[in-house]
Amino acid sequence: MEIEFQRVGKKYETGQEALSQVSFHLQQGEMAFLTGHSGAGKSTLLKLIMMIERQSHGEIIIDGEDLRALHKKYIPYHRRKVGVVFQNHQLLFDRSVFHNVALPLQVSGADPQHIGKRVRAALDKVGLLGKEKYNPMALSGGEQQRIGIARAVVNKPQLLLADEPTGNLDPRLSTEIMNLFQEFNRVGVTVLVASHDLSLIARMHHRVLTLNQGRIVNDGGFS
Amino acid sequence: MSQKPEPRGATRQSLSSSSSTTKTRLSTSFHFASYLRDHQKTLLESFIRLLHDPLASMMTMMVIAIALSLPGGLYVGLKNVHSITNQWDKQSIISLYLFANVEDTKALSLSHQLSSRSDIVNVMYVSKEEGMRYFEKSNGYEEILSALPENPLPIVLQVIPSYEVTIETLPNLESLRDELAGVQEVEYAELDAQWLHRLASLLSFGERFVYALSLLLICAVLLIVGNTIRMAVESRRDEVLVMKLVGATDGFIRRPFLYMGFWFGILGGILACTTILLVSWWVSTPAERIIALYQSDFTLQSFNADEVVLCLTMSAFVGVIGAWIAVNRHISDIELQ
Repeated sequence: MEIEFQRVGKKYETGQEALSQVSFHLQQGEMAFLTGHSGAGKSTLLKLIMMIERQSHGEIIIDGEDLRALHKKYIPYHRRKVGVVFQNHQLLFDRSVFHNVALPLQVSGADPQHIGKRVRAALDKVGLLGKEKYNPMALSGGEQQRIGIARAVVNKPQLLLADEPTGNLDPRLSTEIMNLFQEFNRVGVTVLVASHDLSLIARMHHRVLTLNQGRIVNDGGFS
Repeated sequence: MSQKPEPRGATRQSLSSSSSTTKTRLSTSFHFASYLRDHQKTLLESFIRLLHDPLASMMTMMVIAIALSLPGGLYVGLKNVHSITNQWDKQSIISLYLFANVEDTKALSLSHQLSSRSDIVNVMYVSKEEGMRYFEKSNGYEEILSALPENPLPIVLQVIPSYEVTIETLPNLESLRDELAGVQEVEYAELDAQWLHRLASLLSFGERFVYALSLLLICAVLLIVGNTIRMAVESRRDEVLVMKLVGATDGFIRRPFLYMGFWFGILGGILACTTILLVSWWVSTPAERIIALYQSDFTLQSFNADEVVLCLTMSAFVGVIGAWIAVNRHISDIELQ
């Protein structure tokens, strides 16, 4: 899935300008990192792609669709095409690992017979196949993050977003998580990861978009 | 919104955006089947969820039941009063007082003429003398009457209409009375149904009272369900957030709460109907004994099958509406930020 930003600006109602004149183009199947200090606008940019927020200026074109023209009621269908991973996992602790991962499939009305297969396939990819019956609370931070990733990819999205996915993890686990993203990218998924872990980003050798005070100040390989 | 609507399940059907017509058709029928399946599942799940907190659920249902059984009980009472009055003496008489100068022959021919009408069963002719004799029999009138120089009484025709006297036929009787009052020889026409008139007004007052009370208490049920659902939404805030995040439509998020409202409504309705049926069974023996003193063969009526169905349908509907209002208000409050 392609992402195109053209002179995108986002001004919050409080007057704070989170993004301004942001333009970039992410090709189908490309992987890129989004970096910058906290408050530089990384999360806002991801929220615009998820349509959690809507831009104040400019154009965002995703998969050939201009998001500005997308009516509110189509937002859920847009979100189903995008997998997203958060630093704080956003897992539900009142249900098992299996049901957490199955949620996007249930929400989109998938056949229950397929749900089992797809959930296990996703758990297998993140290496948690044996833990489907556990409560996420019983698992470690790294494992919880992998549940989040399994949930993000269970619908086979063509675009995977991650907001500080390694924020709370030690370097070894962080590398594992990043390698996972790389694997998904290898099978054609477009991946955009927001992270401020510069040393980790440097080792991955992908395109890096650097934000500073809402503007893209660097776009290219890691220097 | 120039965008084409994205059919549900399209992402699942095709990884590329080039979904063919067959695929779209497949996904549409697939969508409908999964939609029904989801409804079924949610119906069951929301019931099970009520059982998670049985005490709180039971309390909500009891409040709904009480709020519904009050107007329901009054309705049953009113229905019985109706049925009692319909069993009462159905005879009614319209008395026509003719002008004093109308002669016997003229009065007799009028009497024949009237009795041939289809809406009149019989006409009883009461001559001036018969009237006098009737008064003489009554105590206290003899002296007064003997003091009069001549018989002051008019000829009276007592008309028995073919309508049975009930609250429903009262307007017909009244229009017949008015018509007869317009006959040339008739000075004054009197319908002997004042008591019925009063009863009718009393009953229509009762009916309106029940309607007003029902309306108020239905509003109360809306508030009760609304408040319960609001708390349910609040307690599942995280879930709502995650569901929005992974692409749940508002309809999908709303659904379990609407079913919850449905269950509250219908279970409250069942409790209310049970209460009404039990109470009317309990009071039926003494009530029938009292009524039997005045007339024979009276059985106390309670809710019949139709009324039970109506009551349950209404309570389920009110439950869903209450939930709808609460969910719409509170789900939009929960936003991904």
